[in-house]
Amino acid sequence: MKHSMSSTTLRRLIVISLIVLWEMLPRAGLIPELFLPSLSSTIAAGWNDAGEYGHALAVTLYEVAISMVFACGGGILAGAIVGSLPRPRILIMPMISSLYAVPLVILYPVFTVWLGIGSESKIAFAAIYGFLPTMLSTAAGIQTIDPQLVLAARSMGATLRQRLVRVIIPAAIPTVLSGLRVGGALVIVGVVVSEMLISSAGIGYLISRYRTILDSPHVFAGVLLVLAMAIAFNAAIKWIERKASIWQTGTRAGQHAADDIAAGVVQPAT
Amino acid sequence: MQPLANITPLKPAGRAGAIQVRNVGQIFKTSTQDVEALSDVSLEVKPGRFVVLVGPSGCGKSTLLMMMAGLRQQTSGTILINDAPIPQPDPDRVGVVFQEPSLFPWLTAEENVEFPLALRGVAKSERRVKAEDALKLVGLDGFGKRHPHELSGGMKQRVSIARGLVQDPPVLLMDEPFAALDEQTRMTMGDELLRIWAATGKTVVFVTHSLTEAVYLADEVVVMSARPGRIVDHLTISLPRPRTYEMLSGETFGTLRDRIWRHIRKSA
Amino acid sequence: MAGTFAVKAARIAIVVALFALWEILSRSGIVNPRLLPSASDTLVMLWELLQRASIRNDLAVTASEVLTAFILAVPVGALIGFAIAENRYFAEVAKPLLFFAFSIPKSIFLPMFILVFGVGFSQKVGFGFFSTIFIVIMSTTTAVESVKVEHLTVARSYGATPLQTAFRVYLPSMLPVLLEALRISMIFNLTGVILAEMYASRDGIGHQIATWGENFQMKQLLAGVVMIAVIAMTFNELVRSVETRCSHWRT
Repeated sequence: MKHSMSSTTLRRLIVISLIVLWEMLPRAGLIPELFLPSLSSTIAAGWNDAGEYGHALAVTLYEVAISMVFACGGGILAGAIVGSLPRPRILIMPMISSLYAVPLVILYPVFTVWLGIGSESKIAFAAIYGFLPTMLSTAAGIQTIDPQLVLAARSMGATLRQRLVRVIIPAAIPTVLSGLRVGGALVIVGVVVSEMLISSAGIGYLISRYRTILDSPHVFAGVLLVLAMAIAFNAAIKWIERKASIWQTGTRAGQHAADDIAAGVVQPAT
Repeated sequence: MQPLANITPLKPAGRAGAIQVRNVGQIFKTSTQDVEALSDVSLEVKPGRFVVLVGPSGCGKSTLLMMMAGLRQQTSGTILINDAPIPQPDPDRVGVVFQEPSLFPWLTAEENVEFPLALRGVAKSERRVKAEDALKLVGLDGFGKRHPHELSGGMKQRVSIARGLVQDPPVLLMDEPFAALDEQTRMTMGDELLRIWAATGKTVVFVTHSLTEAVYLADEVVVMSARPGRIVDHLTISLPRPRTYEMLSGETFGTLRDRIWRHIRKSA
Repeated sequence: MAGTFAVKAARIAIVVALFALWEILSRSGIVNPRLLPSASDTLVMLWELLQRASIRNDLAVTASEVLTAFILAVPVGALIGFAIAENRYFAEVAKPLLFFAFSIPKSIFLPMFILVFGVGFSQKVGFGFFSTIFIVIMSTTTAVESVKVEHLTVARSYGATPLQTAFRVYLPSMLPVLLEALRISMIFNLTGVILAEMYASRDGIGHQIATWGENFQMKQLLAGVVMIAVIAMTFNELVRSVETRCSHWRT
């Protein structure tokens, strides 16, 4: 069935018309400004208080960065170790994926009691929030590394260190990148959520504060900023993945539908 | 593909490349029981010979090859390559080619061939020269800069063979290297392999399921029984070299293959 | 993957060990017991909480919100997902938008839901719906696409009608995938609803958890956390065991 317009064009049209509607509908009074302030007033609000937003962004980015070190670094390491050792893997992995069913947000108040309402509690929470799915996805990914490659290296007389550095680590790069993507996205979610719940600084905090005084343009300015952050992160990861795409042609594909859904599992739940 | 006359052998064959297998046994211990994979296998391979191991699935031929490669230790008996045991892989003495080419996808063909040399810390310039020579030998001159995903199955396997040859070991072990290829490629690769072998004079031990391939390629065929693997026949292939396609339909060929098949059927 | 008896026992042992560690850390005073009430105290409190009418009420509120959001999101999401799977053009347009929706933290839209619905049942159901719909769409699409073309071709070559194909090929093929999709969608749903309750609500177990946190009532807070965790994991495992039973034929 031929269509007159390519799908990309249609998609761009949809996005553009959404943006236009965002501007037009509130202005025309069809949607109360309280629910949806016009795009221009949103941007104006953000622009006028750029300093405040900039400071909040800095706090949020700081929390995201530190959390990522723990969540991605720890998750990838733990996932790599557990994933490559059959006994621990069989023992622990089902327990970890069971844990995934729990809405981890309920842990956040515990952290605020222990660590206060500053950055520490958010980092602790976001780190754990990102750690589990990263570990899950890395453990799964490690198993896709072709064991034949290690056998070939052994047959060529490679020492253990050489096998690790020259074979296992390069072969694991797609998995590591995937872990970064998953962990990073979830850390962003974790930080923003915790800032919105109980906080004294950060973008999430700004969003909540402006909501309580019913200042919609400022609320949406904050929302826009978070969206921009998420988009930037995604783009950065995509760029890295493209650079490393030569590795992907070597690992085993083997995708079942459930695996696809499982890949959806490690998306931000909120 | 280079004509035979233009390829100079990398090393003349001598005493190097002799393989001795004496009373070798292999017992695998599983959680439930002990499995005897090989039982009292003895075999002598003279330098420069092309020997093929055939047998039913599970007869231990691949296990025997792994032990010759130093990738696995036998539970009893001795294996000597160049009159020395081989407790761990020794690419100076033994090159190994597996069924899966197992090329590292992040390296070019050239870099894959260089890999064993890189492990030893050989200088880059020397590595490059040796890799190019090896690729030329397997007929892939000019393909060095390609990545594995840009190569066909047969080409990948050739790179794997070049990698096994790059350190110029006197012995080349091959574990069903053509099994994953389609039949036509298999036949071409078989001829290629014989050309390389003739040019280099290496000792080749080749494992296969295919009786036709065994008779076509080999100087000697070693027939193994089902588990526990024992040698039930060791025949010399009296066909002249170079082997040709026409020989496949000849009477000698058929007789030899029948003899092997009867042994396998009896022991399976 | 189910474990053997030894594996199951080992897992139970790990859990018991963790609880024991918790108990020791608290009782011995290594960690301030005001910050970390002992495991036994927490479990006693948990039992006590379950007897309280207000807690039961909160649980009921949360459950009703979760169910409502689920009942709304699943059919809508399934329809959209099915449409995407069946129409290549629609899929090409929609999929990148879907992926984008996945990569943004949806919690930032919570204030919007409050501005529109106020604070109450519809706000939480709305956010739950919003949290769930995308994963339902995605999973349905994947499920439909997972039905092997070969099976469909065989059915067609034997003259199966569309209805027969739907029931005899699509449905059994998709069933395990659908169950898994439902299970995961429910996880997203529960997370969304509880988050909405924690953020702005007058009732519901999420709100209660937030309140305990604000008032530094650690025993109740930890008891609440354990309670929700147990409920969520139990439900998850139940669905998983049903899934396993249905999918024994899958590689």
